[in-house]
Amino acid sequence: MVTQTPPKSKKNPQLVLDIFIWEATQNKEKDLRSMDGASTKGVLSHLSLLEVQARSRKTQPRQPSRVKELKAKAEALMTQRDQLKAEIETHKSLQKLRASMDKQCTHEEEEEEEEEEEEEEEEEEEEMAEDSENSQLLRLMARHTQLKDLLHAHDIIGGYNVIKTRKGKGLCVSLTTAYNGVYLENYNLEMDLKPTLRISRDNIPPFIPLKSLAEQSNMETDIRTLLDPLSQHLNAFAGRKQQLKLVKELHKSVQVMESNALCSLLVLMFTVPREKTAVLCSLEYTDHTRCLPTRVHFECEDKGLPDSPEWKKNGSLLMETPVHKALITMKKMGDIV
Amino acid sequence: MMEKMSEENIEDVRVLEAQIEHLQAEVAALQRQQQDNHKDITFHLRGHMQDAMSYVCGQKQAGEKEKVLSKLTEEVEELEEDLKRQTQMNGISLNSCTTKTLQSSGRQLVQQLCVSGHCSELVFQVEFQLSEVKKGQRSERTISDLNVVMDTSDLQNFSSFLSGVEESRDLLLFFRTLRTFSDRCDDRRRTFQHFQEKYPSVVSLPGGCRSAVMTLNHPELPGCVLFVHWSVEVSREGRVTPKIELLTKIPEKALQLFPSQAVSGAAEAFQSLLRILGPEAAVESVIMAVSLSQDT
Repeated sequence: MVTQTPPKSKKNPQLVLDIFIWEATQNKEKDLRSMDGASTKGVLSHLSLLEVQARSRKTQPRQPSRVKELKAKAEALMTQRDQLKAEIETHKSLQKLRASMDKQCTHEEEEEEEEEEEEEEEEEEEEMAEDSENSQLLRLMARHTQLKDLLHAHDIIGGYNVIKTRKGKGLCVSLTTAYNGVYLENYNLEMDLKPTLRISRDNIPPFIPLKSLAEQSNMETDIRTLLDPLSQHLNAFAGRKQQLKLVKELHKSVQVMESNALCSLLVLMFTVPREKTAVLCSLEYTDHTRCLPTRVHFECEDKGLPDSPEWKKNGSLLMETPVHKALITMKKMGDIV
Repeated sequence: MMEKMSEENIEDVRVLEAQIEHLQAEVAALQRQQQDNHKDITFHLRGHMQDAMSYVCGQKQAGEKEKVLSKLTEEVEELEEDLKRQTQMNGISLNSCTTKTLQSSGRQLVQQLCVSGHCSELVFQVEFQLSEVKKGQRSERTISDLNVVMDTSDLQNFSSFLSGVEESRDLLLFFRTLRTFSDRCDDRRRTFQHFQEKYPSVVSLPGGCRSAVMTLNHPELPGCVLFVHWSVEVSREGRVTPKIELLTKIPEKALQLFPSQAVSGAAEAFQSLLRILGPEAAVESVIMAVSLSQDT
């Protein structure tokens, strides 16, 4: 029989077990029942104690930190919720403030609204007094949104968007064009303010008489004497160009024979139904500030056609209505294919 | 004792987990509400405005208020200056612009705008829908549903233009024409006022300085009146044309005394004078004639 020294006990459950097994193997010839009852009980209870300790070490260390973790998460969510609530409330206040500011501005000229205004102002002031610490800042914020909207409006309605550049030495002007509700090209002018007002750069097409408009204007005293006529020319050009585009898109049966860069001349070919004769139509736009022609002329192999009542009517129609719309009517009337 | 502790912890955990679930639902609902708010472009805040918002919502730090306030004040002052400049350059004064965002997705933005203001003495209110669609690098802007409100009781010739412009949705044409019309009316007012001040005994403005009529008569000849009718016409196309006419109210007896064309042909003669001298000089010569002055 090999005798081994018992492993040193270090209060380690596994070790205690090893000791027990070793003791048991050492005493295997002895009747285990004859072992000291007290020592068996002691070891067993010691074992169960250690077992419980081992189990609780697995779960207990996590439980406090699990609760901590959840508490932290809950607090973070509460902060987030309060923050969102505050933002939404502030947003509401801003909207209300802005609405009352807008009302005041719109009704500045109407006397009957003065009483209402005063009442509203008092109401607003009472509400604001409750939160007077932030009321100044909120008013400023509402005014900021109002100013931004007004500036946006100036841009949308075709304003010149004049910006001072180069520390007051220069000016940048923007000219918006639009036709029938569609915004088209934007053109720009860069100007020097000193020594005298003059145009330094531009992206105006060459067939627009910018130089002569500038010379005829009074731009140094009133820049609008240049900008208004220029805008008129550019918008008329944009309108004619857009009409040509629409003729090509909407009226495939009409052939565009001739057009020029300024869109001041347009020659179209119509086909008369039934006879299938061709009618050549020339539209001259000699007034470059207008989108309508100054002269309409028809040419046809059938010499009598241009003088017929229907075509005299078409001639007037083309003088008074934008060409792409006039063609719709002419098609409806059955004059052209 | 060990088991009691573990029971408490399990209970705590359950309570906390329930609380967290509730909070997460609350936060999600609030975030949805905030997203809706952000769709309103007017209140889409950036830069100093965002800082101000953060401050008001409680992220306060010492000395933060003054900093936020001063930065925002500076920005607001710049915007006020900018607005003054645009107002002066564009000749249009805007009182208010309210926007309502009808649709806001990645590629398309549709807003309903209501803009009110005045151009000199002419008050307007314009309402329209503005759509912005992103097409590659550029964005296409279109106007639809244009509605223009103006007090046209004095502006008979303007109303046909107004209905035309609403139909064609030519918002920019409306403002260009409004401004030109206003300029021509101002020309008339200035000229009328100038002559009334210079020749108070002969010139009178029965309808006020903004009206279209100036009457001329010599105080010693009350029965003979000349009317300068200066109208500013607006075509449906938006062309603004001042039209000046001379009308005479001369009693039959006086006309019989002067059978020559000089009196009865005054209206036509005035048109020639207009072509040669221009409006102000032509009117002045008529005034001089009526006042029977010795000056040329």
